[in-house]
Amino acid sequence: MANHFPKTANTLPAKLLIILGVLTVTVVAGVTYYFTPKYTRVGYMPTQPVAYNHYLHAEQLGIDCRYCHTYVDQSGHANVPDAATCMNCHSYVKSDSPQLEPVRVSYETGEPVEWVRIHAMPDYVFFNHAVHVNRGVSCVDCHGNVNEMEVVWHDKPMSMAWCLDCHRNPEEYIRPLEHVYDLNWTPENAEAHAEWAREHVVSWNVNPPQSCSGCHR
Amino acid sequence: MNKTTEHSAPTEAGLQGPRYWRSLDERVDSPEFKEWLHREFPQGAAEAGGVNRRHFLKIMGASFALAGFGAAGCRRPEKYILPYAQQPENTVPGIPVYYSTSFPDGMDSIPLVVETHQNRPTHIEGNPKYEPYGGGINAIVSASVLNLYDPDRMTASTRATGASRRQRRVRKEEVYDAISEIRDEYRRTDGQGLAVLAAPSSSPTRRRLVERLREDFPRMIWTEYDPLAQDAAERAATEAFGEPTRPLHRLERAKRILSLDADFLSPAEPGSNALSRAFAKARRVRNRDEAADMSRLYQVEGPFTITGSMADHRLRLSTSAVPALAALIAAELLEQLGEEAGFARSLRAEATGLEVDAEWVRECVRDLREHRGESVVLAGAHLPDSVHRLVVLINEKLGANGHTVKYVSVPRQTAASYREVAEAAREGRVEKLIVLGGNPAYNAPADLPWSDIAERVPAIVRHGYYFDETGLDASLNIAATHYLESWGDGRAYDGTYLPVQPMILPLFEGISELEVLARLAGVRRTDPYDLVLETFGGIRGGEGERPDRAFARVLSEGFAADTAFAESGGAVSRSRLMGLLGNAAFAAPALSRDSLAVRLTGDPKVGDGYYANNGWLQELPDPVTKSCWDNAILISPALARELGFDTKSGKFLIGGIAANRAQFRGGRESAPVAELEVDGVTLSGPVHIQPGLPDWEVVLPLGYGRRRTGRVGSGVGFDAYPLHRADSGLSLAGASISLTRRSHFIANTQNHWSMEGRAIIREGNVSMHIEDPAWAQKIGMESHSPPIYGMDKDRPLSELSLTQPRGGSAYETPAFGEPKPNLRVWQSEEARADFIPDQQWGMSIDLNACTGCNACVIACQSENSIPIVGKNEVLRGREMSWIRLDRYYSTGSNEENQVSLPADPQASLMPVACLHCEMAPCEQVCPVNATVHDTQGLNVMAYNRCVGTRYCANNCPYKVRRFNFFDYNKRATDEFYKGPLGRDQYKTEGGVLASMQRNPDVSVRMRGVMEKCTFCVQRIQQARMAQRVKARDSNDVHVPDGTFKVACQSACPTEAIIFGDISDPDSAVSRAKDNDRDYALLGYLNTRPRTTYLARLRNPNPRMPDYASMPLSYKEYKARQPKPLNGTRPESS
Repeated sequence: MANHFPKTANTLPAKLLIILGVLTVTVVAGVTYYFTPKYTRVGYMPTQPVAYNHYLHAEQLGIDCRYCHTYVDQSGHANVPDAATCMNCHSYVKSDSPQLEPVRVSYETGEPVEWVRIHAMPDYVFFNHAVHVNRGVSCVDCHGNVNEMEVVWHDKPMSMAWCLDCHRNPEEYIRPLEHVYDLNWTPENAEAHAEWAREHVVSWNVNPPQSCSGCHR
Repeated sequence: MNKTTEHSAPTEAGLQGPRYWRSLDERVDSPEFKEWLHREFPQGAAEAGGVNRRHFLKIMGASFALAGFGAAGCRRPEKYILPYAQQPENTVPGIPVYYSTSFPDGMDSIPLVVETHQNRPTHIEGNPKYEPYGGGINAIVSASVLNLYDPDRMTASTRATGASRRQRRVRKEEVYDAISEIRDEYRRTDGQGLAVLAAPSSSPTRRRLVERLREDFPRMIWTEYDPLAQDAAERAATEAFGEPTRPLHRLERAKRILSLDADFLSPAEPGSNALSRAFAKARRVRNRDEAADMSRLYQVEGPFTITGSMADHRLRLSTSAVPALAALIAAELLEQLGEEAGFARSLRAEATGLEVDAEWVRECVRDLREHRGESVVLAGAHLPDSVHRLVVLINEKLGANGHTVKYVSVPRQTAASYREVAEAAREGRVEKLIVLGGNPAYNAPADLPWSDIAERVPAIVRHGYYFDETGLDASLNIAATHYLESWGDGRAYDGTYLPVQPMILPLFEGISELEVLARLAGVRRTDPYDLVLETFGGIRGGEGERPDRAFARVLSEGFAADTAFAESGGAVSRSRLMGLLGNAAFAAPALSRDSLAVRLTGDPKVGDGYYANNGWLQELPDPVTKSCWDNAILISPALARELGFDTKSGKFLIGGIAANRAQFRGGRESAPVAELEVDGVTLSGPVHIQPGLPDWEVVLPLGYGRRRTGRVGSGVGFDAYPLHRADSGLSLAGASISLTRRSHFIANTQNHWSMEGRAIIREGNVSMHIEDPAWAQKIGMESHSPPIYGMDKDRPLSELSLTQPRGGSAYETPAFGEPKPNLRVWQSEEARADFIPDQQWGMSIDLNACTGCNACVIACQSENSIPIVGKNEVLRGREMSWIRLDRYYSTGSNEENQVSLPADPQASLMPVACLHCEMAPCEQVCPVNATVHDTQGLNVMAYNRCVGTRYCANNCPYKVRRFNFFDYNKRATDEFYKGPLGRDQYKTEGGVLASMQRNPDVSVRMRGVMEKCTFCVQRIQQARMAQRVKARDSNDVHVPDGTFKVACQSACPTEAIIFGDISDPDSAVSRAKDNDRDYALLGYLNTRPRTTYLARLRNPNPRMPDYASMPLSYKEYKARQPKPLNGTRPESS
């Protein structure tokens, strides 16, 4: 009996499979790359053990960032407050709110509250809060308007390119030191502020590192 | 099995019809094309390592399937922030806290400043405020932090139960009960039957408690034992003065030093930190005048030590003959002074059997004598008492007392010797023996064996840090605390009171030694802090201040000022000294190939064996032999020849051993195993040929071959203690050696011992320096090549570092002194005028001060979390330590170096880490820009970019880059080859414990990543940022000189390393580099290293018989220089 199919047909199913596979990968990769947000971390909004409300505390009550994040201007770490800090007020205010149960337990037992980390730098990045806030970079530049967040989310991409945006153009980000912790601050006159910033980059000798050693050790 | 499918060949008919060709090659059917067609894949692809395509696809398929499962692992892991529940005061997360404390070291204590991260001690540095030690420490002190986190330490006290003597854990309270039971029992007998064997300690609190114990138990036997006892000089001085006296040598005042087998630059001698520092002070040379004033060291020694490498005249002499030499020196001195002729004659008569050049002795003594009041003689702590008595006499005759030797009054030594407890035990007078520290079961003298005690004493209570050989014999083992975990105190060698301050609560159920003694003494308050405070009140009492307040002030300083021992008011009693010396014997034994002298040495790394389980120290190469993870029988080249080694054929082999017997490859030295027999005791161990040893002496480092220790120290080296005898000390004679047919691999990190006449370590004589201080500039290739900086060669270093002139380079380098072109604001003319450039970091290493003590190597390991890799990896040359100490021998003859091993060479040591070249060869070959320059002139490694090509390491002329062949941090040393199948060390208890030491400010490097010295970039960045935090809205961003030190600099006991900003002409480092001796290693390569060296000076005495008008390495260099055509050598330029 004559061959109905040419010899090449033997490999056809395999070829089809391979083509299908390549196509699938391409489509998946393409969709992943082009149709998803560039930084998946942005918008990360985990549920915290205590539904702490920054909007209420920082915006409505007007508590300064540094009341809780005490060492942000001294240390590389901006510390998360200990339970005792919460208890300063919450021994009197809402002292039996069920929402605050984990804080009270922590205060009594000494076991820490397990806050979920939102802004996680990779291990090889050594970011220092103190040097930024003391040299005119505001909290808002990296964390967004936390004072308006009822639940904190990851607001900025925090990729290396994003860091370098500021390190290459510090004049677009620095502000007078008295406004660093004022997250709602906007210059009254944008042009005057731009001029001020250009002047102060020079007079403060703001020369942010662009070398690897600036952040990686 | 692979299935193969046969396809029938196409028929002739099938080949008919049109033919298509894809290339001209195919059309003409060229043989190359046929070959190409046949191979299907490019060359090499089909042969891929025994894995065929089918297999490959199978594995790939499996990988893809696994990747599907693994996709879940790509999810962002949820991480947590765990704040304090109640934040302790003065604890700022992210900012280290420094505590003062001190390291108890037998008769000495070393004041420290310890870095802690959230109360976790991570790094040890010396306390720079304490002037005699000046912040210097040694390798052992630095490494002691690792012992704190040693997973093999005793975590709980144990009691032996049943006939099998199985150790069962007991709670602390049971230990307390046991101690009070002992107290109650022996109160009744006044201590009859109770004996204590303790390790020496300088603690005043312990001394106080022992006195109390003696009151309660007057018949108790209190003994102290240290196999490497350091009290011989003190004993001799005490006899001579008639009251407890200790000599302190003030080498900074000494112009001439004679050291009789004293390795005073290493921890072998008490107070070595002060000695090193003072010695270096007298050798610091900035100009011609200081060179003329430099001190001179005569060293007589058996082993080759780092002190010998620093010597201006080194006499290799068997330790067994050193007493005879001491007698000869004393006789010569008395004769030259014309005093005590009769005694001198008798000394000369006593000093028999010594083969030494009489002129050497005569001229050496003359030199000492001519520097009356400025010369000093030291004797090794292991030498017999008679030598130390002679030294007291010699120093007195030299007028050293009160000048270069200061005698201080010390508290009376009341402890009995080990012999006493051994004899009491043998006679059955000891019912209960308490062993405090030490490890007598391992290191007791062989003539008073521990087994006698262990068998005869019914109950042994042991207080120790490890469960070791002694622990096996004890019925109760009490776990000790680390000195960073409990309160204590001590005295520096000069007597200064030093507190031992804990910075972490005991990690396990340890009890401090003071608490054990206090409970035994029935003291009411047994808390170590209270005990120490009470002692302190006694020392600083009655000054109207509460002792705890005064103590707090002392803690903030780290030491109590003005508490040093007072200078002795007494004088040497001539009659007593002469009486003691009258019938002393000084004869040297006759040595030959069949009757060898044996010298046991304390190891500069593991000490008496206590540090055997410390991985950093085990992996630290010995400064002279360069071997690690082992000890060896060190023999002289002459003995090697006698043993049948063919030293001629072994070109450049470290052993110089014949090619088929021993080979040196990578880090692997194949050494034959020899058997050494002395008085019926036989030891076997690998042989290492050590140049510079006396011909008929073998040297055995102690402290290895531990029978019971942790996982690091097990199976390392051989035990030489069977030769250690109470009556003969560390020196024996009458040994014979024979080779076996076995061999052993020694991990050795340097296989090449000659500089080959290259100007690597530049050494000159003081006379050369006085004649022409710029001699160091005139040797080396760069001295006769066009200047590196071209027309800019005369500009000051501060400018060169900022402008990076191109000079003779093919490349243009961006200037560090200018703002980056992408910073827009800074581009305008007026802004550039205000620009403050980054500081430019550089280092200067003074080879005249560097003793090669290894302190920097361990400090670096501790600061930068450098992993250990284990012997197996070091054998392959994969050690990771960032600082390497190179040791070179020179003989003065390049021809001889080619064919034989030097018998009596000069040795020179040089620390080399990444030199941070401005024109770094590594950067030019990195395909991924993982190693690049930053604007501070640092050659930085971005670990995360590194893909591990290792091109950089291959292109580095200094060979300072280290590659992580395995996950050294994540895997145990014996599981590297298991890869991911090995246990993850971060998930084991021991791994977690060890990782607590890691510095949180540096990255942990993983497999496949290159690493190297970073100039402690973390410290630089922290200082920079701290300065900017301070500057706030000003431009005061310049980190002042001396704000911070890099780890190696801070550990260095001799201040040989200076680090700082070279763009600032007033910084310490700039001033150090502004020295005629400053030179760049391999500078002719135009690498422009930021670390430069100060050339070494030797100061030989022209009248000595072994005088060389130039150092031997310089002679080798000169010999290598081409002769000009007219046949005469050019002058020194």
